[in-house]
Amino acid sequence: MQRAPPHDRLKVRCGDAPPQRHCPLRRREEVRTEEAERRRWRRTISCIFLIAQTHITEDIDLANARERLEHLLKQPANKFCADCGTPDPKWAALPFGALICIKCSGTHRSLGVHISKVISVNLDEWTDEEVNCLARSGGNATVNTRYEAFLPENYKKPRQDCSTEERSNFIRKKYELQQFMTDPQFTCPLRLNNKHTADKHHHQQNSSVRHGFGHPFRNSWKRRDTDQKGLKKMTDVGMVEFVGLIKVNIRRGINLAVRDVMSSDPYVMLNLGHQSMKTKVIKNTLNPIWNERLMLSIPHPVPHLKLQVFDKDTFTCDDRMGEAEVDIRPLISAAREYENSAVTDPGEVSKWLASEDGTLSKDSIISVVDGKVKQDIMLRLQNVEHGELEIELECVPLSQ
Amino acid sequence: MGQAFRKLFDAFFGNKEMRVVMLGLDAAGKTTILYKLHIGEVLSTVPTIGFNVEKVQYKNVVFTVWDVGGQEKLRPLWRHYFNNTDALIYVVDSLDRERIGRARAEFQAIINDPFMLNSVLLVFANKQDMRGAMTPMEVCEGLGLYDLTNRIWHIQGTCALKGDGLYEGLDWLATTLDEMRASGRITSTSSS
Repeated sequence: MQRAPPHDRLKVRCGDAPPQRHCPLRRREEVRTEEAERRRWRRTISCIFLIAQTHITEDIDLANARERLEHLLKQPANKFCADCGTPDPKWAALPFGALICIKCSGTHRSLGVHISKVISVNLDEWTDEEVNCLARSGGNATVNTRYEAFLPENYKKPRQDCSTEERSNFIRKKYELQQFMTDPQFTCPLRLNNKHTADKHHHQQNSSVRHGFGHPFRNSWKRRDTDQKGLKKMTDVGMVEFVGLIKVNIRRGINLAVRDVMSSDPYVMLNLGHQSMKTKVIKNTLNPIWNERLMLSIPHPVPHLKLQVFDKDTFTCDDRMGEAEVDIRPLISAAREYENSAVTDPGEVSKWLASEDGTLSKDSIISVVDGKVKQDIMLRLQNVEHGELEIELECVPLSQ
Repeated sequence: MGQAFRKLFDAFFGNKEMRVVMLGLDAAGKTTILYKLHIGEVLSTVPTIGFNVEKVQYKNVVFTVWDVGGQEKLRPLWRHYFNNTDALIYVVDSLDRERIGRARAEFQAIINDPFMLNSVLLVFANKQDMRGAMTPMEVCEGLGLYDLTNRIWHIQGTCALKGDGLYEGLDWLATTLDEMRASGRITSTSSS
């Protein structure tokens, strides 16, 4: 017995007629079912095509997530914070896909990751999915059309210099309670949501009791019951903001001083503010090649970058082999300038001239290579008989 | 003789100092915790591009707490703060289940750094007030703390907004510090 073709089986399931495979006259119902099936097939096929297409585009996207992100940032509406209008927003709130300023990002973070996930345009690596999310959202223009559709006419949106409360109130209403998405004439979201948050709060309290949080557990150390009376406040020590990151590529040393019998075991120590880093020691050479990349943060005010060369000694103190200081401020301002301007063509930005008695032994050029602001420097080491150091600096400004 | 008495007195009653570095992924609540401890208030914070450092006194211990920004590209800079650190406070957003794997990777990288091998580890499972947050037990498992042998660690559920759990954590640090000093395992702290 032959199995019924699929459309026959379908008909049986539809229950309108028994399968009649050789019936010359088709009944109306039968034709209709076939028509429906054809439609279904067409839909399935177009679906498959769509999926295939998205897969292909996703493959291409993988390569240029960053590029696509840069492209999205150039949309006119994305040049201002979606919530307060501050120019040049450098943060994004997902899944909404809104580009926001650093102050609004603070409020968004306080909502919790289940509502708003904040990522930085410059300080986070974007996955493809995150860029897709931003692309799908349609940018700030679409986000605001959606989440501020029914923003009351007399409602004052927060501005760049508004108070923290004003900003946080607005952001909560806009994204968490989504009050401006629906017409207030037809719904009463405020009351509903208040009730909801009250319930949530109640639940939270319960859940924290259930989890027993506040009752710490520890692996091996005895607990001593103590009160909190001993707490005293101290004076401020402060907040330090980085103006950027600097990558120092220590390439090589040339004709360094002799500190052991015939040669030296040189390494370089870098200092910027309170940070210090060392390269590895290269044994028994006066022309070491390190090619080591070290990264440091640039605090404000910007200190000089200090480089010291030492000879590694096992039993005694390491011997000095000279030092040099570099003013990195011109590099930082060049990097900022480059970031702010839309200029993309590579080339020379500025030049420091070498002098007979100065630190520079060759002209040093600040240039833009592959969108990175770099400076090549050949340093003449000071407080030593002779020796030169070749380094390359790259600055990543962090303007928020 | 007098000096010996003085030393003995300080050892029992003097202020001790402890250098603490507070790390964790971005938006875990590090800065909020620092200022809750420092001024007892919840500040509205913005992402830290850089670091904050404050002194917090609890009982007879002065904690110098370094709070360093947690954005992805700032994480390589954490190691600049490792040297001479007595303790690590690692803050985890207990609500962020999606990134607990990432939090684990960063945590393991820190504690295996040569400079951090002797520091004690305090984990704050923060945002416990949120519905659906991971319990301290879950965070513990997520970070792989159970597999840590020969390290002194402690996990504490916290809510920075209310201040719950923060002082319990500091209390543990102070107690642990005392015990370590008594057993001579710690060298970098000084009496003042």
